[in-house]
Amino acid sequence: MKMKKFLALALAATMTVGTLAGCGDGGNSGGDNGGDNGGNSSGGVEEITFMVWDDLDASSDLISQGYKKSIDRFNQTYEGKYHCKVVSTNLEEYYTKLNAEVAANNTPDVFIVSPGPNLDDYVLPGTAAKLDDYLNADGWKGTFTSDAVFAGGTYGSEAKDGAGIYAVPLNIAAACVFYNTEMFEDAGAKVPTTYSELLDACKKLDAAGYTPITISAGTAWCLSMVAGYLCDRNGLNLDDVYNKKTDWYDAKVIKAGEQIQELSQYFQPTAAADDNDVATAAFYDGEAAILIQGSWAIGQINDSCEPGFEKKVGVFAFPAVDGSSADPNRVIAKSDSLAMSATSQHKDAAIALIKCFVDDEAQKYTAEVGGKIPVTKVQYDENVAPPELAYVMDVFKNANATFGFYNESLADTEAGSTFDSCFVEIFKGTDPKTALKPIQDYYEANVWK
Amino acid sequence: MDKLLRKKSYIIMFLAPAFILFTAVLIVPIITAVYYSLCDYKVNTEAQFVGIQNYIDLFTNDSDFATGMKNSLFFMIFSCVTQLIFGLILAALLTNIKKGRNFFKNVYYLPCVLSSAALGLMWYFVFSPKYGINKIFESLGWLERADKGTQWLSDTSGFIILPIIVISFVALWQYVGQSMMLYMAQISGISKDIYEAASIDGCSRTQAFFRITLPLIKPMVATAMSLNAIGSLKFFDLIYSMVPESMRGKNGGAHVLATNLYEQGLRYSKYGYACAIGIVLLIMCLLVTFLINKFVKTESYDM
Repeated sequence: MKMKKFLALALAATMTVGTLAGCGDGGNSGGDNGGDNGGNSSGGVEEITFMVWDDLDASSDLISQGYKKSIDRFNQTYEGKYHCKVVSTNLEEYYTKLNAEVAANNTPDVFIVSPGPNLDDYVLPGTAAKLDDYLNADGWKGTFTSDAVFAGGTYGSEAKDGAGIYAVPLNIAAACVFYNTEMFEDAGAKVPTTYSELLDACKKLDAAGYTPITISAGTAWCLSMVAGYLCDRNGLNLDDVYNKKTDWYDAKVIKAGEQIQELSQYFQPTAAADDNDVATAAFYDGEAAILIQGSWAIGQINDSCEPGFEKKVGVFAFPAVDGSSADPNRVIAKSDSLAMSATSQHKDAAIALIKCFVDDEAQKYTAEVGGKIPVTKVQYDENVAPPELAYVMDVFKNANATFGFYNESLADTEAGSTFDSCFVEIFKGTDPKTALKPIQDYYEANVWK
Repeated sequence: MDKLLRKKSYIIMFLAPAFILFTAVLIVPIITAVYYSLCDYKVNTEAQFVGIQNYIDLFTNDSDFATGMKNSLFFMIFSCVTQLIFGLILAALLTNIKKGRNFFKNVYYLPCVLSSAALGLMWYFVFSPKYGINKIFESLGWLERADKGTQWLSDTSGFIILPIIVISFVALWQYVGQSMMLYMAQISGISKDIYEAASIDGCSRTQAFFRITLPLIKPMVATAMSLNAIGSLKFFDLIYSMVPESMRGKNGGAHVLATNLYEQGLRYSKYGYACAIGIVLLIMCLLVTFLINKFVKTESYDM
């Protein structure tokens, strides 16, 4: 009888342990966690987690490959002391996964982030750490080109931990117009400086049998980037919208909508369905003459195109709108930035990792291979850098001011997505005033209340 | 051993692990979700109780929720009707063939066990204007240019938009094997004697199907319909992998309730609001199951 009781108890215990086996934290075997919960330390090596929006082992993107080199260099330099474990996901799911990690108190020690509402989500509640003390120590801040590069990561008293810098930029990308010089020449089109000249160039390219513009409306921010440029060129001031000095039915926004519809006749027929990669590929595969894209596309184009294609690529600034008094020399700029978890148990290791992303070797790579604008005073070989970078640098140097992507510059992430969707609707043919109602309603309900 | 297992303490001991696990992973999260659905709860902030405000916003002020509800209900009705019809036809055909039954059973069931994400990607290419059906139409001379043909996954005209209809058929293709298997299991349980007796009485095969098979598999019809209805209300993966991001994002026409929940909860970090959508979805699933079991009347026969 005792034996039976013992067997029954053993069975029940086995079942309990078996069923709850998956509930443990996985100890050191999980690997993906380890930020807020103390990270992992094995054999005296501090392990930190770094979360990024690309699979660094598989990505063909040259900038991502540069990030991998920085991490490898960090792991080699600090071998036996620190080790960085990468948590990667694709761009589309990135903030979703990062938010889930934050909500679960597993914030990665270091994470990549875009300045704007996305960074707000981590700075305002105190998830991201203030970095001023680290930047001011041993002259690190002085290695950057100027204080202006920190603008996107600088917060005032609205941040939970007070005014300061919360993100370190890694590189700068400017949104430009890439064009196929051969197609332009063949069609007799000139590089446009005004909107009407752009339409004229598209008309000529179309008549010559080329698809004038390749763009993605399937990935809404691509179309929204053009919409942002048009709003800006028509003279819209986003601060005025935020402060309710004007609204989303402003004639300048309506005009931008009408211009999107006018331009859309020159988009590839599948623009509504194409995602960003497909639309970009149409440019470097020689199917379309114009690509309006951030300068991060240089890496993608040069890595995927036929040899020699890069010599056919020219770059010009987004044209001015005829008759508008708005400054035509403003450029959309964006930086990838790194933030550190405020609750990281390995802050020194995290800062050492961030430094590996902005040291001379990494920044030289950024310019010479990745084709992005470096953020430090590093000297790089212009002859080695992709030819397009020189054109982008020209556009950037001639710019009087920069502004952010509209969808990343509005009141919050949802406002940005609503803006994107409004312009996708306009592109699909809805009357601009009708299509803009959701963003107007959103601001009335959430921003201007 | 029987005597031992009749003791209450042993029954409790054996039930406890499953009960604890069931409570921990189902009951507790549901109760928590109900509470959070009554809160304004965003990422990194404390939940603030707001009563039924999230539910009021859902039903009065959220066009994505309305779109998601419309599309989810369409999926549910389409799925219940088509899987009932095609599942039954396939089951009836396969139980009546002698050669190749197992082969075809496996063929029809195979999509059920494959990853929806992988299948979604495959069908995305099939319906892509650049690579798929349109390209075939172009090569057959039916289209001048593939990219100027029907935009299967991005057309937004109509009350129920084309991508939703396309994905409904893909879902039918994927899950019809499951209904077929359920019906086949029930049909194969019907005694051959009944069919023989009916045949002697002059009953044709069609009559036997409608007079014998159909009434005897009614309990399984209710079960399969409930599974289809719940599955289609929770439908997410094919939408997510097939339609362009802009159509399942803010104000996108291809929303279903689950994509709406995902967007609100994980993209905009409005956890309280997303919980409210989840609770509505749960209530709908329970309601639909109740209605199906109430209206698809089943009687037990000795087969």
